[in-house]
Amino acid sequence: MPTENANLFFDVPGGSLSFGDGELDVWAEHLTWCYRMMGIADGATIAAQDFGSSPISFLGSSLLMPGLRRGVAERIDGRFICLDASAERVTLTPALLAQLKVDALVVRNDIVELLAAELRKKGSAEVATQAMKTTIVVFGDEPPALNPTVTQPWRHLMHVERALLLAPECTQCGCVHLRGGFYEVKGATIRNLKLAVPPYDLSRGELIPAGRCAAGPDDWGIQLPIRRIGV
Amino acid sequence: MGANSTYLQRDEIEALSAARLTAWQTDLLHEVADHAYRHVPFYRELWTGVGIGANALHSLEDFERFPIVTKRDLVKAGERWVNPRQGRVAFSTRGTSGDPLLVWLSAEEEEAYIVPTMRGFRWAGFRPGMTALLMSPVWHRLAACEAHAVARLGGRCAFFWGSMGPEYLGSFLHALSSARPEFVTTTAPFLLSLIRRGTGSKVPSNEILSGVRSISVVGLPLTPRMREFLRDRLGVGDIFERSGTQEGAALDECQYHTAPHVHEDVCYLEVLDDAGTPVASGVRGRLIVTKLSSAGSIFVRYDTGDIAAFAPGPCLCGSEFRRLKIFGRPESSVLVGSRLITAYDVRMCIEEDADLVGRNVLLIRDADSSAGVLTVAVEGGAHDQAQLKARLRERLGVNAARMVWLGDLKLNWGFRQVLDGNEIPLPRS
Repeated sequence: MPTENANLFFDVPGGSLSFGDGELDVWAEHLTWCYRMMGIADGATIAAQDFGSSPISFLGSSLLMPGLRRGVAERIDGRFICLDASAERVTLTPALLAQLKVDALVVRNDIVELLAAELRKKGSAEVATQAMKTTIVVFGDEPPALNPTVTQPWRHLMHVERALLLAPECTQCGCVHLRGGFYEVKGATIRNLKLAVPPYDLSRGELIPAGRCAAGPDDWGIQLPIRRIGV
Repeated sequence: MGANSTYLQRDEIEALSAARLTAWQTDLLHEVADHAYRHVPFYRELWTGVGIGANALHSLEDFERFPIVTKRDLVKAGERWVNPRQGRVAFSTRGTSGDPLLVWLSAEEEEAYIVPTMRGFRWAGFRPGMTALLMSPVWHRLAACEAHAVARLGGRCAFFWGSMGPEYLGSFLHALSSARPEFVTTTAPFLLSLIRRGTGSKVPSNEILSGVRSISVVGLPLTPRMREFLRDRLGVGDIFERSGTQEGAALDECQYHTAPHVHEDVCYLEVLDDAGTPVASGVRGRLIVTKLSSAGSIFVRYDTGDIAAFAPGPCLCGSEFRRLKIFGRPESSVLVGSRLITAYDVRMCIEEDADLVGRNVLLIRDADSSAGVLTVAVEGGAHDQAQLKARLRERLGVNAARMVWLGDLKLNWGFRQVLDGNEIPLPRS
């Protein structure tokens, strides 16, 4: 493949992200780590219903971004399905799930209800339950209040775009992990150690110091007030 | 000719004569058909069923014997359509004609499509050092190639937050002011929504767009007046039409804007009549796509449902690549009597009146098409109705035209250009 010098700018809610050569791979590796913490195995098929300017999407594969040598799909030797998060595209998801089984459906929290309604409307809830092994709900500043998905299990991935904060819900301890070496915690402030972005002040949830979970002994944790309500 | 060596030479394809291009494409078609026969059960069973065996393709005449396939065939085929080399990443078609289809992209295939994307961007005025504000890479298989093309051309890529609906115009404007791009790729409906929004905005969009030299648009076939309207109202250097399909068609306009050139190095396009016979240049028919790659999802003689025509004669730019205009598909057309009228045709008639250019135009599908009455809904107040109706009757060959003026009813420009009569509250005409 010819050399691609990445010079990338993403306008995101409340700020922007810029990446130069080699920087995307750091974050693709981190997002892969997040998926593994949420129990997604190697070889998985991951479908992401998110915007193309979200790292959940653009780190999905090296085919999606210049300068990204190995995206998530290449790192887990799996597959990545691009599902845009627009309302128009959400309506198509039930029919796509009927065509292909996915190991993880990653959905932005703000469209979960719309997707659930589409699944019910199309009478596809049962098909979707069989087609999806895990649903991952992506949330930002506000913890998700409910999970109107139709399948178990579901996991949560905290994603604050302007701070490039990507923190997965651990399958072992149930906390959201702030990966050691990627994020630093001081008081209620979380600082990104890998990219020049503003720090993030946690407004909800309880911070738990490192050393409490064997899955990530160097990670701080966040205990979030997520209410689990299924359909 | 091996696929790998072929792809390495793609930049040279532009300079081939028509005869050499045909020979080169025939080699690639042979390669794709051979791969599909050996590795994709759906094609092997389909072709065997009509007496086409392995190694049966040696000329374009041979190729015309291969059966046409549709989306329904591929959805029904399921796993039998899987290509062992289909790749890791999938995109969804928009589902405007039934169920959506998952289309797979591999690294090898993307590599082939990045070259024509670079070519199209160069035609549209992209130069090294420029910043390009690009469409979402997950929106479309061709959009995924855009950032790679910009990076290889020595540019900077910028992306706005959100998707292509009008609810994301604010994000788009914010990214324009933050990134200050000289080049933009987007959809024509999105730009029309931007112009609509601009009338009530504190900052006119043409101030933010003042540094933009070119916009490359997809999603709507541009009429000449629509292009002028977009260029002038947005205050940008030029507007270029890109078109293509998830199934492999890829086209870009050159500076002469006569019709988009087919990127003949990645796709072989045909235009057929209802009997399956190729039509002459200038005559409309069904667009049939064959992707010239045996990687990714395999499409051989795939009926996209689009209505298209090759442009006759050579292009002033000197390229031997054929030019093809995609006018629409059944979902953007209505049947009036026995005539299929596209939204593009109606816009051509309406836009002859300068005051009506840029207004949202919708075709209304009547339950009973046999009366031969074309119903057209136009945004805004009534305007010179008698002349317009006469023009529609004369140009489009319908018995009668009924105009519905939507007045203050505001509609967002979207990809849909046809509504059923019961989908929209129609004021009295």
